[in-house]
Amino acid sequence: MAPIVKISNLDKYFGLLHVLKDVSIEVQPREVVCLIGRSGSGKSTLLRCINFLEDPSRGVIEVDGIRVEIHNGTTREHRQAVHDIRLRTGMVFQEFNLFPHMSVLENVIEGPVTVKGMDRKQAIELAEQNLDSVGLLFKKDEYPNRLSGGQKQRVAIARALTMQPRVMLFDEPTSALDPELIGEVLNVMQKVAKDGMTMLVVTHEMGFAREVADRVLVMADGQIIEEAKPDVLFSQPQDPRTKALIERYRSGER
Amino acid sequence: MSAIMHSDPALQKTHAELLYEAQLRKSRQFNVWVSATWGGLFLILVYLFSGQSILGIRTISLNLEFMQKNLSFIAGGVWQTLLVSFLSISMAIVLALIAALGRLSKFPPFYALSTFYVSLIRGTPLYLQIFFFFLALPQLGIVLTGLFAGVIALGLNYGAYMSEIFRAGLASVGRGQREAAMALGMTPWQTMKRIILPQALRFAIPPIGNDFIAMTKDSALVSATGFVHEIMWRATRVGRAQFNNLEALIMAAVFYWLMTIILTYVQSIIEARLAKGDR
Ligand SMILES: Nc1ncnc2c1ncn2[C@@H]1O[C@H](COP(=O)(O)OP(=O)(O)OP(=O)(O)O)[C@@H](O)[C@H]1O
Ligand SMILES: [Mg+2]
Repeated sequence: MAPIVKISNLDKYFGLLHVLKDVSIEVQPREVVCLIGRSGSGKSTLLRCINFLEDPSRGVIEVDGIRVEIHNGTTREHRQAVHDIRLRTGMVFQEFNLFPHMSVLENVIEGPVTVKGMDRKQAIELAEQNLDSVGLLFKKDEYPNRLSGGQKQRVAIARALTMQPRVMLFDEPTSALDPELIGEVLNVMQKVAKDGMTMLVVTHEMGFAREVADRVLVMADGQIIEEAKPDVLFSQPQDPRTKALIERYRSGER
Repeated sequence: MSAIMHSDPALQKTHAELLYEAQLRKSRQFNVWVSATWGGLFLILVYLFSGQSILGIRTISLNLEFMQKNLSFIAGGVWQTLLVSFLSISMAIVLALIAALGRLSKFPPFYALSTFYVSLIRGTPLYLQIFFFFLALPQLGIVLTGLFAGVIALGLNYGAYMSEIFRAGLASVGRGQREAAMALGMTPWQTMKRIILPQALRFAIPPIGNDFIAMTKDSALVSATGFVHEIMWRATRVGRAQFNNLEALIMAAVFYWLMTIILTYVQSIIEARLAKGDR
C-alpha cells in the first residue's frame, strides 16, 4: 500500500541549530503512529514541518499524493501545494488554540466555511455530528473560556475533524491538562483512530501508545533512533536511549 | 423559650455575611463622601464667579446678560466639535491600523513607511501640523476647506499615536491563534481578518475611547485657523468682539467639561458591556 505520509531526508535548522537531521518516515493509511522522545528531541518540529507551520530546510514532504520538495524561494505552485497539504491535515495543539471570540460551533465551522467555502448549513450539520461524537454537542453555543481544558481539547479535535482531513497530527494533546481530564481526551482520540483516521501523535501517554498505536517512533537529537510495534518496543527496547526513556516513563517522570 | 427562638439559625447572620455588609457600608460611605466633596468644590467654584462679597472677599462678577445672549451661539459649536472629532478619529483609526500592521510587517518598504510616518508626526507639534495644512499648503496652491484640513491634521496626528494601541492589540493575540488558523488552511489575509483583528480590536476599544475623548478637546486647536466653527472658535469670536473673554471662555469650558463627562459615562457603559461578554 502507498504511504499517505512520506517524509524523506528532512532537515530543519533554527538559525545554526540543527534540529532535524535527515529524518525519513512513512505512515500508512489508517495507521496510528506515536512519536516519543525526550524534551527538545525535535518531535514538535517534525510534526509542524508536515503542515508547514515550520518551514523545513531541506527534504521532501508528501501527504496524500501532494508532494513538496523543499528548495529556496516559494513559487506559486509551492504555495498551492502547501495549502493543499494543510487541507489534508488536521492539527491538535497542546494549548488547544480555540478562537476565544467565537462560540464552540463557530470555532468548528470556521474552517469549512472560510477556507473550503462550504455552505453554512452543511458545515453546521457536519460540525454538530463531530461535536456529538466528542460528546460536546450540548456546549455548542458556549464560548471557549467556559469550558474545562478537557472539553476545550475535545472541541479542538472536532474542529480539526470537521475539515475532513486525511491525516490528524496531535502535538502532546494532553500535556496541558489536569490528570483527571486526560482520560476523556484520550478516549476521543481512540475513537477517532477506530473510525479509521490516520494519526501521528506526539505523546508522553505510554498507556495510549501501548493500546492504540500501531507503531511507535523514538526520537533523540533530531533523529528517529528506533521504531517498533508498541509491545515489542516497551518490552525489548534496543537503543540505550530508548531504554532510558522508557525507564523514566515507568518511574512516572517525563 | 424566647431565648431559644432568638438563636434560630435561620435568623442568624453568618460571620461572612456580617463582614460583607460592613464592607458594603464602607464603600457606600466612601462614595457619599466623594460626592459631597465634589459638590462642595463645585459650589466654591460657582461662588468664586458669583460676584458676591461675603466675609470681605470680593469674588469675580460675570456679565450674565452677555452669557445669556451668546449661549446658543457657543452651544452651536458642540455639533461642529463632535463632527470634527468623529471624522478625525475615524481617519486616525484607519491610519493607526495600517501603521501598526506596517510596524509588524516583514516587508521593508511597508515597515519603513510606517515608522517614518510615526516618527515624523511624533517629532512635530500638533499645532504646527494644523497650521501646515491651513497655511502652508495654500502657498503650494493646495487649498483645503477648513473642516477638511482640520480633520486631516488631527487624523494624521492621532493615527501616529494610536498605532501603538493597535500594535499592543495585535501583540496581545497569541502565536497559537495564528498557527491554528494556518493549520486550518486559512490564508494570511483570512487569518488577519477572521482571527487576529477581531481579538485585537476588542483589546483596543477602551483606549480608542480615551483618545476620542481627548480629541474632543484637542479639536479646539483647529479654531486657531479661523475656519472651523466649533466651540472654541465661537467662544473666542464673541469674547473678543465684545471684550467678554472671561465669560465666553467659561461657557466654552463648561461645554467641553459636560461633553467629557457624558462621553466618559458612555464609555464606561461600553466597557462594562465588553467586560460582561468577555471570554
Ligand atoms: N522557534 C524556534 N526557534 C529556535 N529554536 C527552536 C524553535 N522551536 C524549537 N526550537 C529548538 O528545537 C529543538 C527541538 O524542539 P522541539 O520543540 O521540536 O522539541 P520537542 O521534542 O517537541 O520537545 P518537548 O517535548 O519539550 O515539546 C529544541 O532544542 C528547541 O529549543
Ligand atoms: Mg514539543
